[in-house]
Amino acid sequence: MNIHNNPALMEQLAASYALGTLRGGARRRFETLARDNATLRAAALVWQSRLSSVAELQPQAAPSPAVWTRIENLVRADKEARAMQAARRAPVSAGWWASLGLWRGASAAGALAAVLAVVVGLNVNSRLSGQVSELSAKLTATPEIEYVAVLTDDKAAASLLVTFDPKNKTLVLKRVGGFREQADKSLELWALPPGVAPKSLGVLNADPVVRLTAAGTDMRQVPTLAITLEPRGGVPPGSGPTGPVLFKGALIETPK
Amino acid sequence: MKSESPDLQLIALIDRVAGADEKALRELYDLSSSKLYGVALRVVGKREWAEDVLQEAFLTIWRIAGDYKATLSPPMAWMGLIVRSRGLDFLRRRASDRADLMQELDDVLSDTVAGDSPNPMDTTQASEQAWALHQCLARLEQKQREVVSLAYLRDLSHSELAEQLKLPLGTVKTWIRRGLEQLRGCMARFA
Repeated sequence: MNIHNNPALMEQLAASYALGTLRGGARRRFETLARDNATLRAAALVWQSRLSSVAELQPQAAPSPAVWTRIENLVRADKEARAMQAARRAPVSAGWWASLGLWRGASAAGALAAVLAVVVGLNVNSRLSGQVSELSAKLTATPEIEYVAVLTDDKAAASLLVTFDPKNKTLVLKRVGGFREQADKSLELWALPPGVAPKSLGVLNADPVVRLTAAGTDMRQVPTLAITLEPRGGVPPGSGPTGPVLFKGALIETPK
Repeated sequence: MKSESPDLQLIALIDRVAGADEKALRELYDLSSSKLYGVALRVVGKREWAEDVLQEAFLTIWRIAGDYKATLSPPMAWMGLIVRSRGLDFLRRRASDRADLMQELDDVLSDTVAGDSPNPMDTTQASEQAWALHQCLARLEQKQREVVSLAYLRDLSHSELAEQLKLPLGTVKTWIRRGLEQLRGCMARFA
C-alpha cells in the first residue's frame, strides 16, 4: 500500500501515532516515513496538538490544601538553592581564593558553597540556626563557653556539635550523627580562617565525645570549621587536608 | 485583569512565574489546580498519587515556565501535558517497584467505562482548540470517548487498555479505530 497517495491512511496513522496506540514496528516505520515526508510530519503534529486538549476536558476535582503547602516549601527551597548557586559564582577576594588551592581535590563543592555563604553574609538555613540558638541557650549556664558550631553533612543533617572554652583552651566535640569512620581512617578538624591555609585543630578518636586543646588565637577570626576524612592518625603536622570534607559549619560566638 | 480571557490571564501568570514570582505561582495554582488535579487523577487513578503528581507538576511549571513562550499551545493544554508527563513518570516508577500495579483498585476506572455513570467532559477554562475537540468527542459514544481519552492520558497500548478496562482486545481496537475516524472527519471542519 502506498501511503503517499492515500491521505486517509496518512491521517489515520498520524492520529494513532499521536494517540500512542501505534506501537512497535509500525510506530518505527511511521517515524521513518515522517522524517522524509513533511505532510505526514505535519499531520502528526496537528494530531498531537488536538489531543493535548483532552487534558483540558477532564472533570475537575479539588486537591487537599496540603498540596499547596508542599509546593510552597519546595519552591522556597528551590529559590534558596538558586541563591546559593549565585553566591558560589559571586566574586571574592584573591587572598581567599589562594587558600582554596589546598581544598582542590577535596570534593569540596558543597563545602565551598557553605564557606562562601558565610563570607558573603548569607544566612545559615533556619533549621541550623534553630539548632545553634537551642544549643546557645543551654550553654548560657556554662559561661566559659564562648563559641559553638554545628557541623553538618552535605544534606544539612547535624553530625557534630563543637564548643570552645577559651579559658581552659578546650574544644569539645560531640558526635550526633550516625557517621562512623572505617578503622584505617580518622576524622580531622580544621579551622578555615579567611585568606590563609586551613589550620588543623586536631584528630578525633572514635569516642562519642572528644576533647582537643586549642589556643584562643586559633579560634578567633575563624568563621568556619570543617571535618575531613584522613588516613588513620591524620595528616602529618604542617600539611593541609588531603581527604574529602565530610562536615562543616559556621563557628558562632555565644551571646554573653 | 478580570475582563481578560482566561487564556490571556493564564499566559500573563506563566510569564510572571518565569521571573520567579511566587505570588504568580499561587494565583496560577488557584486558577488551574482543580482542572489539573482532575487530569492527574485520570492519569494515575488514585487521589493520593494524583496529589504527588500535581505537586511535581507545579514544581516543573515553576522551573520551566520560561519555556512556555516557545510553544504554540493554549496554556491549560501546556500545563495539562506537564501533568500527564509527570503522571506517566509516576506510573513507570511504581511499575518498576511493583509488578502488580494493574491489580490495584483504580478510583477512576471503577466508575467510568466499566460502570454506568457517565463521565461528563468539563469545558471550564477550555481553550478554543479544546472546544473543537469537545464538540467532536461529544459525537462519540460515551464508552468510545472514554477509551480514546484513557489511551491518550495514560499512554496505553490496545492490549494494556483491554487489560485495564477488562474488555476484549478486538472491542478496544474497534472502538479506537472508529473513534479516531469520527474525530478525523469532525476535526477537519475546525482546521
